[in-house]
Amino acid sequence: MFFQDADAQQRVHTVSRKSERLINLTIALLATKRFITKSEIFKTIEGYEGNAESKERMFERDKDDLRSLGIEIEVGSFDPFFNDEAGYRIKQERYQLDLGDITPLEISLLSLAAQAWQGASLDDAAQRVLVKLSSLGIAVDEQNLPDTFPFFSESGIDLPVITRAIAEHQILEFTYRNYDLSEEVRRIVPIGLSTRSTFWYFTGVDQGIEEIRTFRFDRVIGSFAVKKGPKDFETPENFDSKEVFDGQMNLQAVVDIRHGKGRSLRALASSTESKGEWDQVQIPILDMRTLASLILWHGEDVYVHSPIELRESIIESLKELVSVHG
Amino acid sequence: MLDLVPYINTHQGISLVELSEVFEVSTEQMINDLTTLWMCGLPGYTPLELMDLDFESGYVSISNAPTLAKPRSITHEEGVALVLGLDVLRSAIPNQRDDLIDAIESLSTRITELVNLPLALTASSDLSPEVTKLVKEAISQRSGLKISYHSLYKDEISARVVLPLEVLENDGYLYLHAYCSTAKDFRHFRIDRIQSAETAEVEKPSTASPEKPEKLRFEVRVVRPTRDVAERFAESHLDAGTVFKGSSFSQQWISRSVFASGGAVELLTPAVIRSEIARRAKTILNRYQR
Repeated sequence: MFFQDADAQQRVHTVSRKSERLINLTIALLATKRFITKSEIFKTIEGYEGNAESKERMFERDKDDLRSLGIEIEVGSFDPFFNDEAGYRIKQERYQLDLGDITPLEISLLSLAAQAWQGASLDDAAQRVLVKLSSLGIAVDEQNLPDTFPFFSESGIDLPVITRAIAEHQILEFTYRNYDLSEEVRRIVPIGLSTRSTFWYFTGVDQGIEEIRTFRFDRVIGSFAVKKGPKDFETPENFDSKEVFDGQMNLQAVVDIRHGKGRSLRALASSTESKGEWDQVQIPILDMRTLASLILWHGEDVYVHSPIELRESIIESLKELVSVHG
Repeated sequence: MLDLVPYINTHQGISLVELSEVFEVSTEQMINDLTTLWMCGLPGYTPLELMDLDFESGYVSISNAPTLAKPRSITHEEGVALVLGLDVLRSAIPNQRDDLIDAIESLSTRITELVNLPLALTASSDLSPEVTKLVKEAISQRSGLKISYHSLYKDEISARVVLPLEVLENDGYLYLHAYCSTAKDFRHFRIDRIQSAETAEVEKPSTASPEKPEKLRFEVRVVRPTRDVAERFAESHLDAGTVFKGSSFSQQWISRSVFASGGAVELLTPAVIRSEIARRAKTILNRYQR
């Protein structure tokens, strides 16, 4: 090993000194059963140098670094009767990966789940999990795995920002492109995250209108600002994230589809009844405009019976098509 | 570096090169990291308290590292990756594999509890498990497949005999790259549009150059700017009156896209498609006004 210049050498040296100190701190805090105090840490753990103030600064930074790695440091007092110096430790149970008894098949399923992220948003996190799973030293069972290609499309968004906001009921503020192409700032408390047919969606309670709304990631302009959430927020009781896309509870449209046609509409159907040349199909309405547009796409192969709003909107669009192109 | 210890612990004697690949660092960096680790241990830092690392020979082994021997727990981000990954996996598993579905449910619950994740994370796959299985087999055995394929623009299902070559991802969709003996050319098929598949004999790719279809040019004027129009035609700056040009291999796509925009756009050219749109819209309208 040799280095280009003294600066680089110095930098490498500092970096490795720091990681050495962090590892030693982790080992010491993990190995101890009782809380150990800051002065014990400075005395026994190698790498804390300089005057009291600089040691103190070093220690604060080290704690932050470990926390950002996801390591929980417990703070407490080792003598409940004396309210003196605080002590620190890391609980083995919290530090170590513990998923209970885990079978080779389960390890293989988790690996397959992680591999679905290849080239997508959480690729790095998934790679780290794969290393951890492999470190458990459990054999894999690839024999019994399903023949599938689970995969994710790139969301273009930092997913953990959303999931953390869901877990902590934070407010997400963002600019959204509306249907009429106007841009609007929305403030929502997110309650669900989903992906369907390559699009990513999140659902939340809009703080402006106090209603549940679903947003598509690629319609968000710019990035999210995370704000402190309302104190008394509760996830609406009847919310079911699967229902957002399945819509069985929603109003149903009744349409006729020509036999053998309209496959993409049929994929959404909740029921189909054959009437010879035509089939009568019921489709849950998730979004009136999206459905209307899909019906128009299919031209003369689809005829709308109800609801009346959908029928009217199709008639309106057809009139417009005629007047524009006539 | 903390993740290095448990990994070496269960992969004793792993080569330095392989270890560097797993952790995606250069071997120089790996030697630096191992050197740092070598100096670590419990306070006291006598040889008794330090980890025993051996990597001189190009192969790495470790001992005396009980405190760090187990892998670290998973982070929030890693938990999200796993839970969503498991959900998309579950949606792609055939119904008869109850054993797998149960295992996935159980894993998902355990991870959700372990990292305290919100429950409302869902993902699903549009791929048919049977089709994926056959495609995978056909690629590995270099055998042919007879597929029934739904063409979105024609809204028709056609039977094709193909020789599958590979699976590719593009723009969020999985495609099967295959030699199509119907078109006598290499084609990409979206796997979610393959309705069913069965193994079949297939002829060898022909060397005769196939006919290339010609692209149709079209011109559109925006009547009412909507997000739907912007996304459908992939145009970002739209105002009423904006005229933009495009091209497509499919006449069907052009007329269906204009129909689906429901009067928000006016097709200026080609004139043939334009007058056909007017005629068809009138016919459909008549049916509603009977």
